[in-house]
Amino acid sequence: MSTETLDLDRAPATAPRRVRSVARRLLSQELRLVSRDPFTLIFTVGFPILCVLTLGGVFGTEPAHGFPINPSHYYIASYFTVMIGAVGFVMLPTHIASYRERGVLRRFTAAGFARWSFLVAESWLGLISIAIAGAVLLAVAAPVYGVPLVHDPIRAGAGILVGSIAFVAIGVLLGTLLPSARAAQAVGLLLYFPSFLLGVGGPPTSVMPPTLRAIAENQPLALANQAIRDPWLGLGDGTTPLLIVAAIAIAATVLALRRGRL
Amino acid sequence: MNTTSLARVESATAVSVRGLSKSYGGKLVLDDFDLDVRAGEVVGLIGANGAGKTTAVECLQGLRRPDTGTMTVLGLDPQRDPQRVRSQIGSQLQDSGLPDRMRVSEAVTLFAGPRAADPADLMEQFGIAHRARTPFAGLSGGERQRLFLVLALLNRPRLVILDELTQGLDPAARRNVWAAVAELRRTGVTVLLVTHELAEAEALCDRVIAMRTGRILDQGTPSELIARHAGEAIIRFTSVISQDDAVATALQELNGLPGVQVVTRSGSTFSIRGGRAAIAHIGAWLTARPEPVPTDLDVRTPDLEAALLTLLVADPSHPPAAQGLARTAGGAR
Repeated sequence: MSTETLDLDRAPATAPRRVRSVARRLLSQELRLVSRDPFTLIFTVGFPILCVLTLGGVFGTEPAHGFPINPSHYYIASYFTVMIGAVGFVMLPTHIASYRERGVLRRFTAAGFARWSFLVAESWLGLISIAIAGAVLLAVAAPVYGVPLVHDPIRAGAGILVGSIAFVAIGVLLGTLLPSARAAQAVGLLLYFPSFLLGVGGPPTSVMPPTLRAIAENQPLALANQAIRDPWLGLGDGTTPLLIVAAIAIAATVLALRRGRL
Repeated sequence: MNTTSLARVESATAVSVRGLSKSYGGKLVLDDFDLDVRAGEVVGLIGANGAGKTTAVECLQGLRRPDTGTMTVLGLDPQRDPQRVRSQIGSQLQDSGLPDRMRVSEAVTLFAGPRAADPADLMEQFGIAHRARTPFAGLSGGERQRLFLVLALLNRPRLVILDELTQGLDPAARRNVWAAVAELRRTGVTVLLVTHELAEAEALCDRVIAMRTGRILDQGTPSELIARHAGEAIIRFTSVISQDDAVATALQELNGLPGVQVVTRSGSTFSIRGGRAAIAHIGAWLTARPEPVPTDLDVRTPDLEAALLTLLVADPSHPPAAQGLARTAGGAR
């Protein structure tokens, strides 16, 4: 190591370099890091795809067993929401909490990274992860079961967008609340699996007892699922769940911003 | 930097703190803490664990909000304008890390702002250029510290805060990092150094502030602190003088030398305690003797560690703990 010519003159000899904003630098770095994380890839992409392929194989393509339409299409649309839940309940909280635990957030703060830059980067990370995972899901399902026709693209698109924003905000909020990666993983999985099984990736709600059905149709991830799946498959317009999910998105975003300390 | 601008910078105050107090859960960590650091100065905060050193620098960076007190860092208030303050500070923080899978070159790219120095040069200078593609988890402790130093210096900061600078570094790497800090001083950067390594503070700092339980015990140049709190040198040598009357004469002569305070003899070994001035007089006395000059002359000069331990033990508010620390550290050298 040589320090005889430390290049630290106070004024740069040349004009300031053009660099991307902190949020964009953080986002591109975060995308690289997530792409190297096998747990995240398996959990957010591999697991839902494996479930869709398995359930499609089990229930076939004919409406039966309480399914209002082709079960494989029912699950393809539903598992889009499962991916949103995986990102919001597990990936983002664990990721952000591990950064706090390891002092990465302190380092970002001390380096002068604005709080909002990190929140924006993490939010885009969540949204891009959902988009990529969803695209991979459709690409894998298409040759096997075919991609179900989108009956109401505008409402289905709105459902995907609002649902994604809501659960990304929930993920960021959980990440700012939970003290360690282990705590975030425990709480995240505790929220994720019941949400995943009840009204989203599990059996259709029509086969459930009334109490369980009421829960399964009104828990947040199921509402997001209805806002996406119903207009996608023509099972309904999904307006009411869309509005409720939008309210959740606003509340979670406000809380995440207020709690968004590094 | 020309002479005029250098004088202007040196006269400016980089950090000014008045009456800073901070408690955690009712425990006072900083107690009416005052600090002034002139631009271009290298100031060290030293003290036992829990002295409040890290809390003080975290308040300066706007990472913690003090309960009371006022601060100015580079003319800005870290509480009101933390973002602007941090953008002008380079920090090497205690207890912070990077993501395991982040590569060295990626970290440098992430942290490099518009005013950044050449990242490749800095990595080369700190000996981590060959590890550019290595993930953070694959770096040794010393390499991580060097990377943190590169990140701290990357954006040409006006003030650098280094908390436990050389923790985990081997002796050679430590010396090189010290050279880098000396170079920072040459370029006019103000450095605030938090350290347990008193040799480091002695070697690098223009001024040292000794702290205990959130209060300043004393401050001054390392030499001033040593002179005030650990003034005695110890000189030992073995002499061939064996006859009783010759020994008595030698003891009498040594006792009469300027600066000498105590002379003891055990067998053929003479031990002399005294001020630093005594060292030269004893050397002169030895060379003037008809016997051969002793080959085992051992001179132990007081250092900053001895000064700090004296200060801590003498602190009337917490004598028992201070004595415990002195025992842990093995006593003054």
